[in-house]
Amino acid sequence: MADLIFIALAFLAIGGAIAMVVYANPMYSALGLLITMLSVAGMFALLNATFLFLVQIIVYAGAIMTLILFILMFLNIKEEDLPKEPNKYKFIILGAFVMIPLNILILKAVSKLPAKDLSISNTDFGNIKPLGLELYNNWIIAFELISILLLIALIGSVVLAKRRKSKLNNKGEQL
Amino acid sequence: MNTSLLVWIVLAPLLGSIASGLLYFYHIKKSKVSDIYFSLIGTITPFISFLITLSLFLRMLDEKIIFKQQLFTWLNVDKLNIEMAFLGDNLSIFMSMFVTFVGWLIHIYAVGYMKGDGGFGKFFAYFNLFLASMLILVLADNPIILFIGWEGVGVCSYLLIKFYYGKKENVLAANKAFIVNRVGDFGFLLGVVTLFFALGEVDLSFSSIEANLSNASDKLLVLSGVLLFIGAMGKSAQIPLYVWLPDAMAGPTPISALIHAATMVTAGIYMVARFHFLYSGIEEIGLFIAYIGAFSALLAAIIATRQTDIKKILAYSTMSQLGYMFIAVGLGFYSTGLFHVFTHAFFKAMLFMGAGGVIMALHHEQNIFKIAQHRASLPIIATTFLIGVIAISGIPPFSGFFSKDAILAAAFQEGQYLIWAIAMFTAFLTAFYMFRMYFIVFVAPNHHEADYVYTSKTITIPLLILAIGAIGAGFLNLPSVFGGNHFVDTWLGQLHSKHIHMDIVTEYVLMALSIIVAATGIMAAHSKYANFDVSKPENETGFIGNKFYIDEIYDSLFVQPTKALSTFIDKIVDEKIIDAFIMNSSIGFVNIGKKVAMIQNANVRFYAAFMLVGMTAVFIYLYITLGL
Amino acid sequence: MISLTSYAFVSMMLFSIGVIGVVARRNIFVIYMSIELMLNGVNLFLVTFARYHFNMDAQIITVMVISIAAAEAAIFLSVIILLFRSRKSLDTNIFTTLTQGEKL
Repeated sequence: MADLIFIALAFLAIGGAIAMVVYANPMYSALGLLITMLSVAGMFALLNATFLFLVQIIVYAGAIMTLILFILMFLNIKEEDLPKEPNKYKFIILGAFVMIPLNILILKAVSKLPAKDLSISNTDFGNIKPLGLELYNNWIIAFELISILLLIALIGSVVLAKRRKSKLNNKGEQL
Repeated sequence: MNTSLLVWIVLAPLLGSIASGLLYFYHIKKSKVSDIYFSLIGTITPFISFLITLSLFLRMLDEKIIFKQQLFTWLNVDKLNIEMAFLGDNLSIFMSMFVTFVGWLIHIYAVGYMKGDGGFGKFFAYFNLFLASMLILVLADNPIILFIGWEGVGVCSYLLIKFYYGKKENVLAANKAFIVNRVGDFGFLLGVVTLFFALGEVDLSFSSIEANLSNASDKLLVLSGVLLFIGAMGKSAQIPLYVWLPDAMAGPTPISALIHAATMVTAGIYMVARFHFLYSGIEEIGLFIAYIGAFSALLAAIIATRQTDIKKILAYSTMSQLGYMFIAVGLGFYSTGLFHVFTHAFFKAMLFMGAGGVIMALHHEQNIFKIAQHRASLPIIATTFLIGVIAISGIPPFSGFFSKDAILAAAFQEGQYLIWAIAMFTAFLTAFYMFRMYFIVFVAPNHHEADYVYTSKTITIPLLILAIGAIGAGFLNLPSVFGGNHFVDTWLGQLHSKHIHMDIVTEYVLMALSIIVAATGIMAAHSKYANFDVSKPENETGFIGNKFYIDEIYDSLFVQPTKALSTFIDKIVDEKIIDAFIMNSSIGFVNIGKKVAMIQNANVRFYAAFMLVGMTAVFIYLYITLGL
Repeated sequence: MISLTSYAFVSMMLFSIGVIGVVARRNIFVIYMSIELMLNGVNLFLVTFARYHFNMDAQIITVMVISIAAAEAAIFLSVIILLFRSRKSLDTNIFTTLTQGEKL
């Protein structure tokens, strides 16, 4: 049963990723990415990472994808604003060829590891309580630094996107 | 030995030249310096040289010593050791005596001749430098120092021929002189190098070459003898390197008198005499030298019979007389040849100076027919000119007779009858063309009242002094047939020259023959030219008049091909191949750089793609080496 | 029969597609989303190995990565807004003021 779920989720994830890369319209790409993220969340759940399953859905699918869709619609992109990409498929296939060696390398390395049973275990590995204890006991400094980083990102994005009142070019447009 | 004075023979004119040169710079850059200073420097320094030479000569007469003065070691490289040293033996002092004396007189003459010329100071600077170089040549102790003087006289000859550099022909003539000389110099240098290697790399002074001559193989000695003679061919205007001498007459007359009559052109003969130990051993080369001399004398005499420029006639006669001198030294009669050098210096310088006086009086007219048409009355010049012409034709008791006759007797004694015949015929032609010149310039009637033109004392007095020499110099080497004391022959005994030993009858017959030949020439000239109608001048036409087209032949054989080759190398090899190669390499580099710069196109995706490709390459490498 | 290799395969696929998206597409949104895709692939790998070794550290690192991705999203999208405002285009090929030679 878990295998079937895994295979379905795998198809969805890869399908969504391919959709994201192939479509020209950014809305479609965003939706493809959304599907991928949800599938990845599912795979987290299959791997006993229940907290991460939640975090993935809340943060990635809920916040980041929403932000992306919001900016997409905010910028009011028309058909003519989109770049013309005549050689898209060529580059994609070329890129695929270039990426093959890395994949082969990693997969070969991984397959040499001793096999284990990766079915869902019944321990509380990956639950929120052990993870929280681990986080706040051993990784406290990293935790604090991440929060500072988030603060900086917050301030940064406000500063960057602010409209400047003084400079106007000769068409009267805001620079 | 009191040697400290020897170097001053050379240093006096050298310092005079430097002083005149610096003074001339001051003259043209700052404020004018009066001509009198240049004249004083210019005439006092040769006189000092002459006095020193005279004093050394008198001491050598008394004490039978030679002078040697070594200044410093110039080069000392491995086996090559060249000292800057001067040698004052009998030969050097003999040459130096007449070089400084005639040089001094011509310097005085030049003061009058060059008066009013803008480059007066420059002239005397060069002139003194020439005299210094000639004295270096004559007093050298080893062939390298001789070569310094050799080159020095070549350079000064060039500088002085093109003295009137405003006219392009003068500069071309100077170039021709220098270049043809250079060909000779190359031969000379090769000869010295061959000698150095042939002798097993010993110290190169003349005495040590003489001592070590047996070290060398015969073939190498022959080779070096020929090469050294090539230098003499260039310097002394023999066939085939004579073409510069007539053109060199473009320079002012004092330098024609000094350089191209009395001193520089005799350097070749001096050199052969100096190397007497070498040439005595290779008699075939000596015979070759004598034949070259004979043919040069003949060719020059033939050409001179049709020339119309007074200085060119004298130039060809110089070449002809140099041919005689080479006949003598070639056959081993070194002192006889040098005696002819000595007498020739006097009457040739005098002839040139007289010609100069005539040219100046007639405002730089050099064509003998035009001179005849506008003849002025110049008594002293005419008289001395006549003396010179008689001397050169070989009429006794003037000096030319004794020296020329000795050469003819030498050729006859050696059994070289062809050379003797050529020399006799040339004597006939010499008398003919010299008297032709004299008759046309001074005698032929021109239906014109001759005005008396004043010539300054600086011109007439040297002429008179030289006239005494031209008349009397012959008595210095009077053959014993006349009861003379062979002074010059004994003085130059170090050269081991051959001497004339004939029975009295043969000698008298030969002398009579040469006088008859000369007299015939004079009578032929008289009959044709004494009453010549100068209003219808002869032109330089025909084969002889065009100097046998030798200049044109040399031009097409050597000058044009060299020019074509140079143009080829310049336009094609240099511009199209070498330049193009270098320019294209650099442009190619720039283009490659531009192509490579396209990588830095600020397109971030492009950078990412590149990184990806790089990483992929690394992964492939890891895959292969890790053997997974 | 889900083994380590299958999870590795999926995560490498996601990563590769992300890389291809960065290199092959010109649209700046798609580039950004490909970057996020790459991060997701790496997260999946990490969690897989956390489960494989029963080690919590990898999951904590994953939490960190997700938070950093969030911060990056904020900045990235602000910059996209700025670029769109100044150039009126989403084509990365024209954002080349740092170039020196000719543009590709």
